[in-house]
Amino acid sequence: MSGHELSAFIFVLICVIILLIMLKEDDKLKRLITAVFRDYFVYAPVKRDGRLLAQEAKVPDEIDWSGKLTENSWKELFLPHREKLFEGRQGLAETKGEQPPVACLGMNILDLKALTLFDLVFGNDVYYQNRRQKTVVIGYGADWPNSYKKSKVFSHNFKEDALEHVSFDVFIAGRKGGEPIFYSGSSVGRKLLESCRIKDFENIKFAGAIAESGPDKRMLEIKGKLERSANHYLWDNLDQVCLACGKCTVACPTCFCFDLEDKANPDDPRRDRRWGSCFYNDFSLVAGGHQELDTVRKKIFFWYYHKFVRIPKEYSHVGCVSCGRCTRTCPVGIDIAKNIAKISKLK
Amino acid sequence: MRNIYQPQEVKVISVSRESIDTVLLRFQFIDKKRQKAFAFLPGQFMQIGFPGWGECPISICSSSADSKKYFELAVRDVGQLTHKINELKNGDEAWVRGPFGNGFDTGLYTGKELILIGGGCGFVPLRPLIIDCLAGRIKPKSLKIFYGCLNEDTLLFKKQYPEWNRGAELSVILEKPTERWHGEKGLITALIQKRQISSSAVVVMVGPPIMYRFAVKELEAKKIKAQNIWVSLERRMYCGVGVCQHCAIGPYYVCKDGPVFSYSQLKDIPNAL
Repeated sequence: MSGHELSAFIFVLICVIILLIMLKEDDKLKRLITAVFRDYFVYAPVKRDGRLLAQEAKVPDEIDWSGKLTENSWKELFLPHREKLFEGRQGLAETKGEQPPVACLGMNILDLKALTLFDLVFGNDVYYQNRRQKTVVIGYGADWPNSYKKSKVFSHNFKEDALEHVSFDVFIAGRKGGEPIFYSGSSVGRKLLESCRIKDFENIKFAGAIAESGPDKRMLEIKGKLERSANHYLWDNLDQVCLACGKCTVACPTCFCFDLEDKANPDDPRRDRRWGSCFYNDFSLVAGGHQELDTVRKKIFFWYYHKFVRIPKEYSHVGCVSCGRCTRTCPVGIDIAKNIAKISKLK
Repeated sequence: MRNIYQPQEVKVISVSRESIDTVLLRFQFIDKKRQKAFAFLPGQFMQIGFPGWGECPISICSSSADSKKYFELAVRDVGQLTHKINELKNGDEAWVRGPFGNGFDTGLYTGKELILIGGGCGFVPLRPLIIDCLAGRIKPKSLKIFYGCLNEDTLLFKKQYPEWNRGAELSVILEKPTERWHGEKGLITALIQKRQISSSAVVVMVGPPIMYRFAVKELEAKKIKAQNIWVSLERRMYCGVGVCQHCAIGPYYVCKDGPVFSYSQLKDIPNAL
């Protein structure tokens, strides 16, 4: 081999090594996703028929990495639209089905915040906890954390340490033109990353749903004002506009009202839990026909009051994560951000 | 983890038909250990139901002094489930969860003039207070009981009136009595107007929302302070632990923060009463 040939060989060798290293780096995300698809039923942002929905992904290529909020929320995976709590054949026996392992892959930070609230609300709910333990939560932010700064959050303040106060197992921070940064938020997340030979991840220690400095200031300000807003003209206006269709309660990632519903079917007597909606007439109906929330004004005020007063009061956590899904789904264009801006103007 | 939605089985050990539409049932837990550990406060409620029939919240109407032996519920037949409960016989089984709610703060009554006002089946949760006052477990200075009802057929706990009249001052008023009725006729507000009530009295009132609205006005006319007027509210509810939202009023949950509230807690909340 001549000197010329040798230098050409060395050049090619170096190129191959660099390429291999680059491939290896790129493979981190691929390795993680392959592992997740191998071990879990994967739910992820998937675009079908022009709609971006959090739904079951059959193959990794289906996943949308734009970082955009999915049209639907992820709550169905944590609080199913209907679930059987008790078998009624012989008395009332707790339904004990094996929960399938589910991966929620690509949850936006706002959805992680909603999940954090659910973890607080259903902390002592055995059905929720059984499902939660079988679920691995993988958050994703494209161009993180700039993407969050850019989103129009009206219900609370954005903090740089946002990841320390939300529930997740792994968080993937996508960066423009660079490799993603991986964060682990739990021992499950750490083990998952390590099993994929991803070593340079940052370990985030969950510091509780509420920041050490106390509940969010903007949340408290809105709470105080909304509490005093019962006579505000806003509710009279909404009374005229809102159809009480309840679509917002379905779209909202933090709406968790539910009914317990029994079925007397002799073949399968059961007690179910199913989503409720404060916009429906039976929500507050009592024996004798009295209905507490008997006007649209009362219903929509009840809905806002739950999000902006009752939840902050009880959990010190925001009851609205500013995802804007209710605004997008509302058939008559009721805009929650604009309404909260109106309430914020109250002295 | 304990399942907060898991009901437990109880057995009916006695049945007494109280009125044309209301039955008084005495229950015992099938699980003897559970019965021995059972404790509740007057004013708390149980969720009672059957597989396939759902549950409904019913105030406990026996004294907490007997909680280790049994508990009693008086149930008015107003819907499918309460109709089924009304058909229960000795030895029949039902499923319960509870007790839920805060109950009455009976320590506040010590040394005070205590006024109990019951309207219709709202009289039910007041029964444990009456029993405990007469037995000396609750120690007010004096006890007056005002009970308003539709007619003779719907009067509750009739057998106990002679005993209650010995230890307290019981006034009954009927809205639409028959000609045989020699007592007072009219609405409960008429009783409040007529009777002597000191402005320092503590009032506990249970009845339908319409009664609260008018009775509160009469009590305010007698200079009774909002924080000394207590009510027990009824709302649709499912979970019993402040999650499902059905019973929310303003910042409170009737199932968890109530059902007992002072009027001062409620007076600024739109549509609370």
